[in-house]
Amino acid sequence: MVEFEPAIKSLTAKEVDFVIIGGVAISVHSTGYVTRDLDFCYLQTTENLKRIVSAFAHFNPRLRGFPEDLPFIWDERTLQSGTNFTLKTTIGDIDLLGEVAGVGDYQAVKKESIIARLYDCDVRVLTLEGLIKAKRAAGRTKDLLVLPELEALREMLSETDEE
Amino acid sequence: MTEKLSEERLEKIRQLIMNPRPGSKVAAAKEFGIDLTLTFGQLRKTPQQRLDDLQSAMRGLEEFARAGAEWRKRNNGRI
Repeated sequence: MVEFEPAIKSLTAKEVDFVIIGGVAISVHSTGYVTRDLDFCYLQTTENLKRIVSAFAHFNPRLRGFPEDLPFIWDERTLQSGTNFTLKTTIGDIDLLGEVAGVGDYQAVKKESIIARLYDCDVRVLTLEGLIKAKRAAGRTKDLLVLPELEALREMLSETDEE
Repeated sequence: MTEKLSEERLEKIRQLIMNPRPGSKVAAAKEFGIDLTLTFGQLRKTPQQRLDDLQSAMRGLEEFARAGAEWRKRNNGRI
């Protein structure tokens, strides 16, 4: 399980450029989907990597699924060495993705995002359209199972749009 | 993102769920087995309330898993 509030507040306080994607984004859009981790897409600049390192340093991040005694240094050099990271932290499982299949890199993901007010912070969340593209591209059974609800939700919201 | 949908809009959505247009995504979801009344319940809430619901569900599931693990430990791995 992951504690959303400290994760989101810490990322926001450090002014990290990020977009919430995955199961948490689906829930924010109003389905009963349950997930275990927090996935976000991040901007891969040195400055942003420094901010991410600082935001999560006190949550003792380690690579998930690796032995506890395997040396792991949480710094921007480590983040520069890859694109996607699955982390185990003291507040739960957090996944960092440099790009989202079906949507693209951070800039494309940011374009497909909206701002939601969460824990008194303005946070970018992937749109329903973006989530549908990502789930289609991922193509795993668990991703495809959520598509009918997301597509119905998109249809209902677009057909009743008041703007 | 809209904090909360208006009652008027929610009513329109409720009508779409109760009387889905043939060939629509709403009809397809219902046919697939999705209970859209649950989705509608979530639509009445703010994004923060939806996230709070998810956090609460995660805590419940974790507690359930922990209880299961303790049960197995007490019963030598048997379920």
